[in-house]
Amino acid sequence: MASKCRRLSGPIIRELLDSVESVLFDCDGVIWRGDEAITGAADVINLLKQNGKRVFFLTNNSTKTRRMYVDKLRKLGFNASEEDVFGTAFCSAVYLKSEAKLNGKVYLIGSNAMKQELQNVGIPQVGVGPDPITGVQIDWANIPLDPEVKAVVVGFDEHFNYMKLNRALQYLSNPECLFVGTNTDTRLPLEGGKAVPGTGCLLKAVETAAQRQALVIGKPSKFMFDCVAHQYGLDPAKTLMVGDRLDTDILLGSNCGLKTLLTLTGVSTAADAEAHQCSGCPVRLGMVPDYIVESIAELLPALQA
Amino acid sequence: MAGAGRGCQKIRGSQIQDVLDTKHSILFDCDGVIWNGEKAVAGATEVVSLLKKQGKNVFFVTNNCTRPRDIYVQKFSRLGFTDVAQEEIFSSAYCSAVYLRDVAKVQGKVFVIGGHGVYKELREAGVPFVEGEADDPDMTIVNCPLDSDIKAVLVGYDDKLTFLKLAKACCYLQNPDCLFLATDPDPWHPLREGRVTPGSGSLTAALETATGRKATVIGKPSRFMFECIASQFGVDPAESLMVGDRLETDILFGVNCGMDTILTLTGVSTLGEAQAYKDDQAPEKKVYVPDYVVDTIADLLPVIEDDE
Repeated sequence: MASKCRRLSGPIIRELLDSVESVLFDCDGVIWRGDEAITGAADVINLLKQNGKRVFFLTNNSTKTRRMYVDKLRKLGFNASEEDVFGTAFCSAVYLKSEAKLNGKVYLIGSNAMKQELQNVGIPQVGVGPDPITGVQIDWANIPLDPEVKAVVVGFDEHFNYMKLNRALQYLSNPECLFVGTNTDTRLPLEGGKAVPGTGCLLKAVETAAQRQALVIGKPSKFMFDCVAHQYGLDPAKTLMVGDRLDTDILLGSNCGLKTLLTLTGVSTAADAEAHQCSGCPVRLGMVPDYIVESIAELLPALQA
Repeated sequence: MAGAGRGCQKIRGSQIQDVLDTKHSILFDCDGVIWNGEKAVAGATEVVSLLKKQGKNVFFVTNNCTRPRDIYVQKFSRLGFTDVAQEEIFSSAYCSAVYLRDVAKVQGKVFVIGGHGVYKELREAGVPFVEGEADDPDMTIVNCPLDSDIKAVLVGYDDKLTFLKLAKACCYLQNPDCLFLATDPDPWHPLREGRVTPGSGSLTAALETATGRKATVIGKPSRFMFECIASQFGVDPAESLMVGDRLETDILFGVNCGMDTILTLTGVSTLGEAQAYKDDQAPEKKVYVPDYVVDTIADLLPVIEDDE
């Protein structure tokens, strides 16, 4: 059985890097935290590219367009272009256009970034922005529904409220209406200890009210990897997934047959990884990383040599 | 009555009499059982009056947390149920207040995601609480003040729900000593003409997902509302009957409390759904199977009248 949870050090780092052609990085907790880059992260990414590796960014965060991600990446010193970035706003739009072949509008609980990415593929939306509740209960069951809406899409939305939940429920009462969620992350990473509910909670509220399950685009669903792999012809056996969350990044890596590296600058701990490893439960074993580092900066010496 | 292969027995006439003879207490759900919206189910007022005349205890057990009990009394009266007293009404808002005051004995304030019904019951029970009031539009979870005296979060139906309320509740629940209560688990509530509206259960699910914690649920199918009734009125489940319209709420509640159950078909669940549970091989589905089925509670009427 292949070893797991190996601490990367010395020659193993070089071995690992030589064995892969592409490296996929999660963002929050891996290359940056909030608006600050992790020390050494920009050098790692830039050197990987110089070494001839392809580098992609895979993030469940649905609040930025690819353009916005590139702006942030470049501001923090990372060499990147739009084609390198795969966020759930972009991937949801790709899914609706290319897979679902949606012919109609989306009722969107989400951000302007999601609206923008949908617009970029020619899909109109309704719903973005504040939606204050008015009237009484029976009015809400009778709200006018746009007959062109063929899908309900749920991403992160700071304007989420009962009215939006209600509208989604009314649209989803039609079984033909598609139901897509960007991701199931339960909390947003936030500095200062305050826990902010993530998209997963909003999605759960809609799923419960509608008694339907959404199709989820983000990690650990394979769709995001397929998005990248499809466009760039990646070989899973020669691809490394680097992340900070065992239940999204590492699980995606396992599900897609990638090598996986857990970095400890984010959500999950080494103890979490070891607990999954000892659990004996097949689902949990998928969350055990091949390798562990304290920070991706540990890759630097091997890259600089 | 209980046992393998039992259940879903359509009853009329003397069969109903046999069942009623052994019962001292009849518990009715409200929405879809005795009324639909603002209209009493035909015959329902007569059923309630005659059961009381026969000396039965009659209680009303509802998950609807939007009204305080005194407003319910007004509704009963308005719809022609002229002999229903406040003490006979057990709503999830009232029972949540009782739980916080008498069971949890909460020392501190309750953060409420809910509405007028819950606020009034908490006030009447003397339980201090914080309304998730309408916030300053510039307020975000990053800059909003948090109350340091919150010892419990209670979540129920709230049409004024906002993201900020959810976020605040999430922060309070990070403290493992802060209680987490939900008025009821209903994912959606029925309105007129087959329409639906998001229920307390969907808001609770959001908070459970955010916090990784499970709420203590007050309403059906949890036993607590029955325990409330039993502690105030000395009711024996073996001599009690639960009449409801929702299999996953009312019937499961009856089973959980050891009562016989009647499904009435004037509300949410259908005979087909009840039969499906009955025919299901999985043993865990048996808890949703009603002992008896009536088309409407008016079917209890001719029998009772014969008895006079």
